[in-house]
Amino acid sequence: MLKNFKIETRYNDVYDITEQVLKTVEESKVKEGTCIVYNTHSTAGMTVFSPWDPDGFLDLDDEIRRLVPTRVDFKHQHDTPQDAAGHIKCAMFGVSLSFIVTGGKLLLGGSQHIYFLEFDGPRNREFYVKVQSD
Amino acid sequence: MEKKSNPMSRQVMSLPRLIEEQYEDLEPKTRTVLSFQEIFNIQRIVLTGCGDSYAATMATKHAFEMLTGIPTEVVTALELGRYYCKRHMGVDCRNPLVIAVSNSGTGARVAEAVQRARKYGCFVLGVTGNEESPLGKNSDKILKLNIPPFEGAPGTRSYMVSVMSLLLLAIRFGEVRMNYTMDTAMQYREEMKRQGEELKKLLPEMDEVCFKVAEKWKDFPCYDFVGGGFDYATAWFGQAKILEATGKFVMHINTEEWFHLNFFARDAKHMGTVVVANTTNPAHSRSKELVKYANVLHRPLVVITDGGALDFDSEEAVYIKVPKPEAQILMPLTHFAPVCLIAAYISELIGEKYGRGCEGDWSFAQGGAGVINSEIILD
Repeated sequence: MLKNFKIETRYNDVYDITEQVLKTVEESKVKEGTCIVYNTHSTAGMTVFSPWDPDGFLDLDDEIRRLVPTRVDFKHQHDTPQDAAGHIKCAMFGVSLSFIVTGGKLLLGGSQHIYFLEFDGPRNREFYVKVQSD
Repeated sequence: MEKKSNPMSRQVMSLPRLIEEQYEDLEPKTRTVLSFQEIFNIQRIVLTGCGDSYAATMATKHAFEMLTGIPTEVVTALELGRYYCKRHMGVDCRNPLVIAVSNSGTGARVAEAVQRARKYGCFVLGVTGNEESPLGKNSDKILKLNIPPFEGAPGTRSYMVSVMSLLLLAIRFGEVRMNYTMDTAMQYREEMKRQGEELKKLLPEMDEVCFKVAEKWKDFPCYDFVGGGFDYATAWFGQAKILEATGKFVMHINTEEWFHLNFFARDAKHMGTVVVANTTNPAHSRSKELVKYANVLHRPLVVITDGGALDFDSEEAVYIKVPKPEAQILMPLTHFAPVCLIAAYISELIGEKYGRGCEGDWSFAQGGAGVINSEIILD
């Protein structure tokens, strides 16, 4: 089963997509298998993060910016500095996540939610959820 | 009288295709001509040029300010080369950015202006088709124009390319400085490309109307071109084309100043008056008043607009419809087409040679000698 989801993102924002993934797994009726969450972009990433303290996202954003600040001396100058930085961030985080499906449910820890990370924006984005049986 | 196409009208007819071709050439070049560092370094912009290039800078000044928020001045080449305050040049790490426009790059005044600007520390971006020209050699960076050859006529194609190159630079500066998203920047660019198609749809009717106006106006002794803001640039360009194509007396003035000056002119019934007045122009209310009082004076009247008679309280005039882009900044790209057609047909109907053929008393200007051969003085 493959499902597509659309997001209209804001600048440099974080989107909790856990519910969409959980629902897709449920609809797939797969009991034992794997689930891949994937985006088709080069300036947006995917990650698992704790939802319990919203300030955690600010820390994450701070650390990402510390690692890859938006600078004007990137060699990739075709678009914008924000876009150039977004490419690096995307390469570091990756565009896909893999999960185990067992007992008809996504195997997800209590402090684990699934997030779509916008490194540019506002943009029209999409991501896919693929569920397959063993 | 039968309408005859001529080199100038054929230049106008070639514009839709030229817009598409030049977009493909200039869009990638305007992405790379200045680096991120250079674009972020800009604190002020000075646009300069002579003749049609000067009109192109006037047509795009507001676009630079609207898209980038960077204070932008239009400074004539003479002013920049001989008068512009030295203390205002070379400040804040090579500011202002001077964008100098000349397709040939050979005009002495522009060469003088950019030499002086660099001497006092400005960063110069030359927009030219000739890298080896005096402008090319005296620029820090060059946006190379590549306009396909065409039949000689008062500049029409080259003007469109100058306007397009400046608009693309303005869009790029705003994009890189993150005043809007890359998607918005691409919407501006895509809409620019579409203006060729929009013009193509309107050209057949525009051509007929302009020929009829030329038939009625061909024996007038004088013409008057009026507009405000970027519409003033189109009006200025219109008076230039009348002078070049027909050799007749012609005036240009902004919409407000017309009420202070040009309306006094006697023999109003024989003064062909062209008002460039787009409906989104902030001075539209004043344009409406102008059209009303021009009619009171019995001026023969053409209104070039993206709207129609209803936008001018149905005042009597010949309304010439031009494309209506969503982005206001794109209007100057095509709105000069009717003024070129009117000038082209008047010239044809009265049997006048473009630029007086550079013959007789005008022979000193052969090959542009009048603007190329001029003493350059650097103070």
